[in-house]
Amino acid sequence: MQPGKAGYTLRSHGSNTAGVWRVQSSIRRVGIPRALSHHTRGALWDAYFSALGIQTVLSPKTSRAIIDEGCRLAVDETCLSVKVALGHVAWLSERCDAVLVPRYVSVGRGERECSKFWGICDIVRNSVPGVELLTYSVDAMHRTHARTTERGELYRLARRLGASRPKAAYAVARALSAHRRERAERVGTNPARTATGEHPRVLVVGHAYNLYDDAIGQPIVRELERQGCDVVDSESVDHRLAARLAHKASPSLYWTNSRQLLGSVEYWRDHVDGIVFLVTFPCGPDSLVTELAVRRMKDVPVVTLIVDEHSGETGLQTRLESFADILRMRREGRAPGCGAAVA
Amino acid sequence: MSRPVCSFPHMGNYAWVMKDLAELLDCEVMVAPPITRRTLEIGAKNSPEFVCLPFKYNLGNFLEAIDKGADVIVQAGGGCRFGYYAEVQQAIVADMGYDTDFIQLSGSCDLPSIVKFLRRHNRRVSPREIRRVIDLTWAKLKVLDSIEDDVRKRLGFEVEPGAHEVLVSAFLRELSSASDHAAVERVAAETRDRMLAIPIDKPEQPLRVGVVGELYVLMEPFANMDVERRLAAHGAEVHRFCNVTGIVEHATEGYPVVQRMLASTGPYLTYDPDAEGAYSVFHALDLMRGGFDGIVHVKPFGCMPEVTAMSALQRISREHTFPILFLSYDVQTSSTGVLTRLEAFCDMLAMRRKELVDA
Repeated sequence: MQPGKAGYTLRSHGSNTAGVWRVQSSIRRVGIPRALSHHTRGALWDAYFSALGIQTVLSPKTSRAIIDEGCRLAVDETCLSVKVALGHVAWLSERCDAVLVPRYVSVGRGERECSKFWGICDIVRNSVPGVELLTYSVDAMHRTHARTTERGELYRLARRLGASRPKAAYAVARALSAHRRERAERVGTNPARTATGEHPRVLVVGHAYNLYDDAIGQPIVRELERQGCDVVDSESVDHRLAARLAHKASPSLYWTNSRQLLGSVEYWRDHVDGIVFLVTFPCGPDSLVTELAVRRMKDVPVVTLIVDEHSGETGLQTRLESFADILRMRREGRAPGCGAAVA
Repeated sequence: MSRPVCSFPHMGNYAWVMKDLAELLDCEVMVAPPITRRTLEIGAKNSPEFVCLPFKYNLGNFLEAIDKGADVIVQAGGGCRFGYYAEVQQAIVADMGYDTDFIQLSGSCDLPSIVKFLRRHNRRVSPREIRRVIDLTWAKLKVLDSIEDDVRKRLGFEVEPGAHEVLVSAFLRELSSASDHAAVERVAAETRDRMLAIPIDKPEQPLRVGVVGELYVLMEPFANMDVERRLAAHGAEVHRFCNVTGIVEHATEGYPVVQRMLASTGPYLTYDPDAEGAYSVFHALDLMRGGFDGIVHVKPFGCMPEVTAMSALQRISREHTFPILFLSYDVQTSSTGVLTRLEAFCDMLAMRRKELVDA
């Protein structure tokens, strides 16, 4: 039976399915917020929707206006990253048929995402009035009755959007291979661990959605580069390797994203001059993981930058400037051994 | 060789019941010193800055217990950030120079896995003994939760102030020393009789207020600054649905509980927001439909699942003009602020009730 025609029924998966599992084949323009999962799955969605022949609209780079709108909509105690995401969704909600807000609970057994990713659909639906969502829920966790995978969810989403079976399968295959390619590229662009340059090398540790955000992470990376540092980031380490290293350092850590952060610290720790932890206030996982990572670090200068919607560029600049100075002095053998400097 | 001394964090009055279980670990059991302002202060001082409040209280409990001689700490885990508490707390305690063992309980609550867990730590205890103690603890927990539930509904209307408090403290003493099922039942029956003998002056239709939110802050009166007692003092009948028996029952049943709840949370909550987020929204909606006067939502600052739940609760409150008071607790939260807001909230509920009756 053709999708979209009367009588076409959908098997329901995941938890409560009311209002989520229905045919959405009238959707022609899908909005993709330049926030959260976009920064790790941007290529995936581009390939996916182009294979399905659906137009996508990407929200603009995070600006003051987007942050302000997000803050207005969100519960005050939400972390900055989710506030930014809400701002993007609000921008898109009037400009397209539906906004893509997927829910990632767990992408593999024994690991899970931050609770904010569990609740993001409901947060968006409750905070942005009248928004039409396009969503799927990836939940590979053991305790859930119906496990779902990214592959399966993307396929079902394609069917819901009116694609034929072969077309849906084709789109999923294209999407996942684009995703793998993007990941490999990110790892490949980094210098070898052992290569020593003439500039101090700094590892910036942060979630992808903060690192690559134009208002949160990019100013920090730019500032470090302006100070004459070589910057590597925590996304530069292969995910599997990072997970393995993180497991060695902290066996009970279960957040996928945090494993990447801790793993990258373990990977780079002996090959960088300093580490910058980039945390959005009040990030739940980071409140614990950064603490543990800093405690494990006895010999490398560390600075923790906690960013919220009120953070100004000047404060950032001052701290990074003095941090870069310390790194240079240590290189020249002028500074005493540095402990943890927390900003 | 002297036996190791083991301790565990406080939550409400549960320590008096849980100590029996800890004894199975072949340790001396030490109930941590009761929570005071100092507990929170030393906990907060050694904790990461914006970790959630229960972490700080737990760490404070541990440090005070370690000072008193504990060398094994038992910490539970599971859900949101809680599952990662133990490892970070262990690192903090080790960095402070203490040589303390941590035992982390797994999230599973079914009998076989508890027996297996205890046997792993103590080969000398027989499975039969473990079962006996678990059965007894379970009976005690059920009695404790049901008595406290009744007390909450009567507390606000006692004629002689403090009568219920005296009753509860005597009850806890007796309950913790009860050594078999018959004794537990006797204590329960006697307490119930004594409770019914306490004179109360309850209006026919008192204000009914539900408290929902994050489980630790909900169940630890010190952490929530006595929300329940203060609501009661303003003449409200207080209902709370979160207790340890409920948590264990739900954990044993597993995910279907959340799924059942989500079936009736309609457009406000479609997916599980982790931990008790779904419970908060479910109970809030349930109580609203059941004609309650208002709801108080409590949580530690920055609690991830509850912030998600809050977005739903705020929308419910907005769309149904239903009073919900949101209280967020952290180290700096002042009891005066909480008191003032509770007072204003109760006054508002009373006025609203009057308006609805008059209209």
